[in-house]
Amino acid sequence: MDESNHWYGHSRILSKYCGLSEESPKRIQGFLQHGWNYLHGFPPNDHWCSPGYPRFVWSDVLRRRGWSMGRRGHYLIGAPWIYLLHLEPELGVVPERKGTIWYPFHGWEKHSVTGDHARLADEIRNVETGPVTVCLYWLEFANPDIRRAYESRGFRVICHGERGSRWEGKGRDFLRKQLVQLRRHRRVASNRLGSALFYGASVGCEVAVYGDPMQFEDERPEYGGTARRMRLWPELHGTHVDSGLAAEVARRELGFDYQATPEELVRMFGWKRVR
Amino acid sequence: MVRVNEAPENVRLIGGEMLLWSDMSTMGGVTDWRGAAFELIARLIPASGRVLLVGPHPQMLVDEVVERAPSAAVLLRSYPDACALGERHPGLAVFCGRLEVFEAEEPYDLVLALDGLLRTHSAEAPAAAWRESLGALAGLLAPGGRLVLGVRNDLGVDRFLEARPADREGGDDQWAPHGFDPSYPSGPAALDRGLEAAGLSVRRCYAAYPGRQAPRALLSREALAAELPDALTFPLSARGGDRMLVADPLQLTRLVFRHRLGEELAPLWLAVATRPAPEGRERQDGLRGDELPYGLVEEGALLYELTPDGSKRFPDGEERPIPAGRVVEEILVEACAREDVKTVRELLEELAGWLESGGDVSAATDSLVYDGERFAAISPTAGPSTPPGPKVVLCRILWRFAVRLLAAGHHHPWPWPLEADQLTLTLCGMAGRPCDQGDLDRARKLDAELGCPADEHAPTYRDLLGARDRLADQLTAALARISRLETKLSYRERELVRSKAKLRRTQRRASAYRRTLGYRLSRRLASPRKVARRVIRLLSG
Repeated sequence: MDESNHWYGHSRILSKYCGLSEESPKRIQGFLQHGWNYLHGFPPNDHWCSPGYPRFVWSDVLRRRGWSMGRRGHYLIGAPWIYLLHLEPELGVVPERKGTIWYPFHGWEKHSVTGDHARLADEIRNVETGPVTVCLYWLEFANPDIRRAYESRGFRVICHGERGSRWEGKGRDFLRKQLVQLRRHRRVASNRLGSALFYGASVGCEVAVYGDPMQFEDERPEYGGTARRMRLWPELHGTHVDSGLAAEVARRELGFDYQATPEELVRMFGWKRVR
Repeated sequence: MVRVNEAPENVRLIGGEMLLWSDMSTMGGVTDWRGAAFELIARLIPASGRVLLVGPHPQMLVDEVVERAPSAAVLLRSYPDACALGERHPGLAVFCGRLEVFEAEEPYDLVLALDGLLRTHSAEAPAAAWRESLGALAGLLAPGGRLVLGVRNDLGVDRFLEARPADREGGDDQWAPHGFDPSYPSGPAALDRGLEAAGLSVRRCYAAYPGRQAPRALLSREALAAELPDALTFPLSARGGDRMLVADPLQLTRLVFRHRLGEELAPLWLAVATRPAPEGRERQDGLRGDELPYGLVEEGALLYELTPDGSKRFPDGEERPIPAGRVVEEILVEACAREDVKTVRELLEELAGWLESGGDVSAATDSLVYDGERFAAISPTAGPSTPPGPKVVLCRILWRFAVRLLAAGHHHPWPWPLEADQLTLTLCGMAGRPCDQGDLDRARKLDAELGCPADEHAPTYRDLLGARDRLADQLTAALARISRLETKLSYRERELVRSKAKLRRTQRRASAYRRTLGYRLSRRLASPRKVARRVIRLLSG
């Protein structure tokens, strides 16, 4: 249906959950929300989501908002992440969690982000007390200047890899790698609320959001900008955040209550051979 | 900074605001409150105190409140609407977000929520139950403060009429479907209980007619319990533009009033309630139910107050009785249903006489009442610039009646003709004032000049069913005719075949005869005589 259904190994995780082969994920008849989002689960210009195909979204607020914006056919299944946690309850669990994993807000293949990484790195060093792992998106990881900004301050710099596609296995272990890293660290932090932060909160990390939120070159006004994120989740911003509260918000945003059964997913995704 | 966040200074975001949403342009639209609601509000605005408008209201009403109220604020869920309002009234405090999270710095002395509570919730949070929203609304009232709350009736007469109710169409505003909230008022008594449970005391409850899109009359529960004159209730039924209807709203609304169910089946209620002041601290401007109008009715551009003794009180203090009697159209429809042409004839003659002795030029059978002696206009309207003769006026009245009679599908006694024009000329004849096609053309021109055309409406579902039945009848007749013709055709074909066979037999017999000796001999004998006859003809000619 769409390439984004297979990013980050989402379709492979769901295949495995449904008892199918992880090697060659089938086409999902619909559109899978691929990242945490505070619009309707998809980017504002979602014309590629053909009407008539379901939109598999993570939480009910996205459905309501999407409906109010003229979108229909939402189906709540929660985030693929919750299916990964279901499949891998023990993966990467260590006896003692240490340090902070820090996810600077990233651009993507078509839009880059403007911001001063050196200044951000200084701020991180001032706030964090334990060892810091900085996880960059592969585009930024490939940029030696950005890597140096963090490495020169003694941070470990890693990358979970490319997000992959249906045909190549590059992104297939993206979320698994992320899960292992998150379960190894005590804290997860970023300069913007995002999927990684909620993923971390859902596996018991402390949460922090601070530093220059940086700016997309062509940020869409529909989201309402940083001010809107601050208004919607004031309790999640700051260097120290109530972890119980963060876990609760993560449960809601990742749609833990909406986890579907394998049979249901097989039918919803059009994976069932129907005569 | 992103453009969307540049709000006017007086707009404050309180949470739950809908950035990409407007209540001004959606399918439901904003209820078009006018004179009656303005008058009610004008009587409630305190001389000193704070006023809060909750939910979308028409711009004129907001302007009016801002102008009259000593201090006003507005609460809206739509961000674009809030910004537009903030720009329009720079001095007005505009709060943008959902009702349940609104925390007033100081309580309000008057809260106006004429649009109801359904559009105070936002897609950003699960929709609160009606009772919860009402609780939040009541919490904004100061002791002794007043609340005007609109409540859409889920069993309003409009629900019987609409073939496609707006809230069943799954529009963009239906992310939380309506109709499944057990706390939503299920009748006037439930509404009272809900208000009382929120710690409010009901002062007066009004029913708004004719519809919730454009209410033109507010009638108190007390007024609706009494028998109301036809001249008041007849205009309170509305057909809304191009809506698809199940039935003729006029007939159904008339039944509602006749059965005294005006309160129970109102499309919309407007409740006026107050929050009781603590004991011993009665406010000076405390509100008593009997201070509130008994009924407010818009009559064109005019507004009158209905008095308990059944007369109209105009803003200038003048009181006029509401004319008694039945609506002429209804008398005629009844007579038509009974095929009582005598009554029709007599009434039309009376009407013609009344017009000739100076009756209202702009009258029509649906805007006149007749009490057995006199005709009276339900509401005075402006006449045309140059008044035509009474004959044309009568012709126009009857043409309009004919169009409405046929359009409503009422039974009538005239077997022929079925066209409105022909029926009009027949009716004119029955009134003893025969008209011709020229009069009819002038009558139609007069009707166009007076406005409010008789046949502008889309057919209702019942009309369509009637039309379908008529077509089915015609189809049955046509099929019967075809089968009769088929039978006749096969009979004629058989006849033809038989005749052909007969002919062939005859021909065969004739040629056999020609070959006989006798025939040939007689031909030989006859031929000399033929030759002789030809010669004689030549010689003589």
